[in-house]
Amino acid sequence: MKNFESLLAAYLVAWAVFFIFEIRIARSVARLREELEHLKETLEN
Amino acid sequence: MHRNGSFRFELSGTLAVAALMGVAGYAVFFLAPTERTMGEIQRIFYFHVASAWTAFLAFFIVFVANLNYLMRRRPVWDQLAVAAAEVGIAFCTVVLLTGPIWAKPVWGIWWTWDARLTSTFVLWLLYVGYLLLRSLVEDPGRRAVTSAVFGIFAFLDVPIVYMSIRWWRTQHPEPVIAGGEGSGLDPTMWRVLLVCLMAMVALLVLLLRQRFRLEQLRGKLEELRLHIGAKPTPRF
Amino acid sequence: MGIGAATYWILAKELRTELRTRELLHTTVVFVLLVVVLFSFTFEPTREESRRYGPGLLWLALLFAGSLMLQPAFIREQNNDTLSALRLAPIASLAIFLGKALASFVFLTVAELFLLPIFAALYGVAILPVLGEILVVLALGTLGMVTTGTVFAAIGVQARMRELLLPLLLLPLLVPVLIASVSATASLLALEPSMDWTAMKFLIGFDVIYLAASALLFEFLLED
Repeated sequence: MKNFESLLAAYLVAWAVFFIFEIRIARSVARLREELEHLKETLEN
Repeated sequence: MHRNGSFRFELSGTLAVAALMGVAGYAVFFLAPTERTMGEIQRIFYFHVASAWTAFLAFFIVFVANLNYLMRRRPVWDQLAVAAAEVGIAFCTVVLLTGPIWAKPVWGIWWTWDARLTSTFVLWLLYVGYLLLRSLVEDPGRRAVTSAVFGIFAFLDVPIVYMSIRWWRTQHPEPVIAGGEGSGLDPTMWRVLLVCLMAMVALLVLLLRQRFRLEQLRGKLEELRLHIGAKPTPRF
Repeated sequence: MGIGAATYWILAKELRTELRTRELLHTTVVFVLLVVVLFSFTFEPTREESRRYGPGLLWLALLFAGSLMLQPAFIREQNNDTLSALRLAPIASLAIFLGKALASFVFLTVAELFLLPIFAALYGVAILPVLGEILVVLALGTLGMVTTGTVFAAIGVQARMRELLLPLLLLPLLVPVLIASVSATASLLALEPSMDWTAMKFLIGFDVIYLAASALLFEFLLED
């Protein structure tokens, strides 16, 4: 199992990047939804 | 309901990509032979190279979307372009991070200024510039046109950068890794690489679709806001 | 007006404006001089070392100068509100691009001609025997710089933080120009001077590709 730690580190780093990207998308969507609700409320009032 | 249907689609898509990733992981860890001199770390090759090709594919989508936007002026093309650029940068980041982790135990150094590494880095910088430009132009129409022109310029530069670095700057022998393109790569290795590539492209499609829908939502909101003359709620 | 006449008209107008104040030329020349002096502190500027690092130093200075002066060169129009007048005038966008790019080319070349002897004297490089060749390399590299730079300046005027944005967009794109120009200059300044024809062809290729792309795409940046 030569250099196994490096392999593990590389995989972890790679998945971390995709994970962070995914979280960023989810957060932006949540924020936009909130804004949409906000706009709807202003329109109704 | 429409939203329910798309949710089901999203879920099944995610599961499909997860399953493909599982198969690819199994192939990488259990089917691919262990490389003699490099040891286990060589197994990052499949993931690393597949990410690189997927990143190029994403940037090619940006280029096509840029051209289409300039010719047709439909906002969808602009939305596709920005979505593909961001996803491409994510893949490119993976390439740039896994590369040094692989290089360190094998070459003893984190980085070498070889053609492929350096041009990938320049490519990354160009598309980060693309996103930066977008964040600095207010008007949606102008943002779309200026970033489309820049995107085309950036894409044209990719092969030129690669050739220039390859001709003048590469100091060490060309096939660094036993498995550079086609240089005696074991057939099993090739097959595993293809499986990995399929899994990464599937991931690209999934991420691209999500990012694209986010951009569409943003576009609609922008339109709505202009329509009723409301101020955007401040970010953070 | 034909394209040629219109281009000439814009070029002449740009040069006249610059000759009146000379602010662009002055700032560019001082900036390049400053970079050249600052560089001497980063290595031992002996003859040997200068031969190794000189070409890179020269081109980095020019690249930074170009990426800093191209935006003001373009933007001056906006202050005087003449860009919109130009747009309304029946002048093809191609002529606007060519006129602007040529004007920037002239400004940068003048700055380079001023810099070259100073650089040669400060770093002890023999430039005179290969002067003609060096000028050709300078012209080809500068052409690549102003072509892409003028388009990016037209992009920049529509953005916030434009003075900072332009170098960020332009410098990575110019990596091939930097590499080829440095290589060509280095082989001219070597102990046995030679012409790096690959680099020359490469620079010509870069210039042609981006001239064509700019001519095709510039009009999109001028529309409202």
